[in-house]
Amino acid sequence: MPAAKSGWAITSYWTDRPLAFKGLVVVALPLGILFGALISLYLASNAESRAEDDVRRAFAIQRDTYQVHALLAEAAAGVRGYVLTSQSRFLEPYRKAEAELPATMTRLDAEIRDAEVRQRFERIRQATVRKREGLKKIVALAGSPAVRSSNALAIEEALISNKIVLDGMRREIENIQRRERVLLDQRQAKVDEVRNRFLLLTAISAMIGLLGSLAAVYLFSTGIVRRVRTLEHNAELLARGEALTPMPDDADEIGTLGQRMDRASALLRAREQALRESEERFRLVIEGVRDYGIFVLDPDGIVVSWNFGAERIKGWMAEEILGQHFSRFYPEETQTYLPSQMLERASEAGTAEDEGWRVRKDGSRFWANVVITALYDDRGDLRGFAKVTRDMTERRRSEEALRIAREEAVAASLAKSEFLSRTSHELRTPLSAILGFGQLLELDEEQFSPRHQEAVHQIMKAGRHLLSLINDLLDISSIEAGGTEVSIEDVDMSELLQEVHAFASPIVASAGLQFVLELPAPDLLAQADRRRATQVVLNLVANAAKYNRSGSMVRLSCRPINDMVQVLVEDDGDGIDVSDIPRLFTPFDRLGQQTRAKVEGTGLGLALSKRLVESMHGEIGFDAREKGACFWFTLPVAKAIKEDENSCQPD
Amino acid sequence: MPARLISNQELLSRRILAIDDEETNVLLLANVLDREGYRDVHCLTNPEQALEMYIKLSPDLVLLDLMMPKVDGFQLLEAFSRHDQPDEFRPVLVLTADTTLQTRRRALALGAKDFVAKPFDVIEVALRISNLLETRILYERLRQG
Repeated sequence: MPAAKSGWAITSYWTDRPLAFKGLVVVALPLGILFGALISLYLASNAESRAEDDVRRAFAIQRDTYQVHALLAEAAAGVRGYVLTSQSRFLEPYRKAEAELPATMTRLDAEIRDAEVRQRFERIRQATVRKREGLKKIVALAGSPAVRSSNALAIEEALISNKIVLDGMRREIENIQRRERVLLDQRQAKVDEVRNRFLLLTAISAMIGLLGSLAAVYLFSTGIVRRVRTLEHNAELLARGEALTPMPDDADEIGTLGQRMDRASALLRAREQALRESEERFRLVIEGVRDYGIFVLDPDGIVVSWNFGAERIKGWMAEEILGQHFSRFYPEETQTYLPSQMLERASEAGTAEDEGWRVRKDGSRFWANVVITALYDDRGDLRGFAKVTRDMTERRRSEEALRIAREEAVAASLAKSEFLSRTSHELRTPLSAILGFGQLLELDEEQFSPRHQEAVHQIMKAGRHLLSLINDLLDISSIEAGGTEVSIEDVDMSELLQEVHAFASPIVASAGLQFVLELPAPDLLAQADRRRATQVVLNLVANAAKYNRSGSMVRLSCRPINDMVQVLVEDDGDGIDVSDIPRLFTPFDRLGQQTRAKVEGTGLGLALSKRLVESMHGEIGFDAREKGACFWFTLPVAKAIKEDENSCQPD
Repeated sequence: MPARLISNQELLSRRILAIDDEETNVLLLANVLDREGYRDVHCLTNPEQALEMYIKLSPDLVLLDLMMPKVDGFQLLEAFSRHDQPDEFRPVLVLTADTTLQTRRRALALGAKDFVAKPFDVIEVALRISNLLETRILYERLRQG
């Protein structure tokens, strides 16, 4: 495993390097190998030329040594000829040798490298020196015939020794030649070896170069191309919204890009998931709504979504209605214009509402409340319409019922008023005749017997009672039907009480009672209908006068209580039974009828007063007194006026 | 009785037209007027003939009921005032069982000179009749100069 691990470590190290580094390596590797090959080539060619130099030198040494030998041999032959002939022309080789030898020797000295050859060359050089001296001596000896003859022996000796020197020299030269041949062979072999090695090196360089290129291609592929391809593939997957092929967490740019893409993908998928969940929730809510038909139309009015509520209200299943135009929900009479009109209104105003008849799948009609909302995208283009439909049939039915009931009530009330008015008229007409003729009889009563007079009197009494009954009944009814107007104004109570006092004084006086008036402060104002308020006070005073049989007075007074004005009518008569109090203000309930049969009254006065007071937002009531009765009623105080007056008169 | 500017004789000789669809009511009025001593009293129970009679008789005073079938009192009030010269004072006393404020206002606005609710007090009606006739006579005198 460690090997694999280290292999993995290297790969990972490689992939983790930045792209610039990888590019450098990929380009530098073959270049380096090429450079190395060139250097080795250069070195190899150097070695070869050196080897060839050696060979050339070996040839030169061979040539020069032969030349030395040849020059000396020819010089010696020439000298011998000169000795024999004394002809100086035989000295020509000797002179040539003398002239050329030093240069040749110097050349040889420079060429020789080998130690053995140098040793022999030194011997040759000495031999050469000796030879040249020997030859020079011979030439000198044989210079004149005289001398020559005398020196024949010496010459002989010199010739012999010369010959020995030359022989020795020849042997040395031969040795050198032999040695040089050996050396030449050796060098030739070396040259061959170098050349072979050079060929091998070239072949190896080529191999390494090839391998290096392959390695570079491989590295390029593993380090860049393959991963870029994966990256490209991932980008495509990302665009399609699919899961990415996992990429190792490499530290270079591609790796980083891959990781970023991965993160982007994860983020995108998370968002998509959230969106999907939210959409799902929304869809479930919409679909689950039971009482509202909620569906979506495309811009042309084609149904593209359908919820449970719509299914319930309209009767169509989603699969039956999707793809159809929504005008089929409209009844025939509106089908031709209303659907398009609704869409037009919605797209102009953003929303359009309508209430009217719609048709279910089974053809039955229902009363619908419809709201169409135009749906626009971010760019403001119309994407369709959301339509919310409610079945209002039940509500409409109950509204209709309510309306009819209300109309009936109003009609009934009107009919009642009409009936009362007619009844009153119809009753008054004959009564008019009865009372009229009765009165005529009354006027002529002195012509009648007492019995007839009494009869006329009773007729008139009953007739007048009937008339007041009819009047009170009519008043109550008209108040209950709201037939009479209430005109509320600020009424000065002091003034009102004085009016009533003046008006009712004869009635109170005729009952044998004292009429006591207690006036309030002159600025006490009430909000009331003057005529009605007066009527109520008169009513109460008339009642007090009528029923006070045992007492001596009727007292009328008025006072402010909080926000109200209270009017009191008191008497010191017999009062009213506690058990009767609850029925005081009930119509036709004439209290103590048995005991008070003699008192005239309709039984409607208090009931009428109660209604009048209530129509002015007041209250009416009764308080028992130790002796007598106290009827009171209240009216709202006129505050604003009072405050105004106060502010007008600060001092 | 306050002193009168006009003699009783002249007053009682004036022509009165009573219009009511109820015969009893007309009879009552006739009785009241007869008791007072009026001599030229005409009674009518068919309101459709009222305008014709009004023109034909040219009465000094009209006693008129409002609620009548076919032609009601309001229509007659209009017809009378259309027929009369603008400077003529020919009083109409309205007698009606309809005592509502609206009815009273409407009748008076249409030219009725007085208004009495039925059932009425016999003496009151007699007094109002004599007052209205007196006013007419005085008006006539004023015009004759």
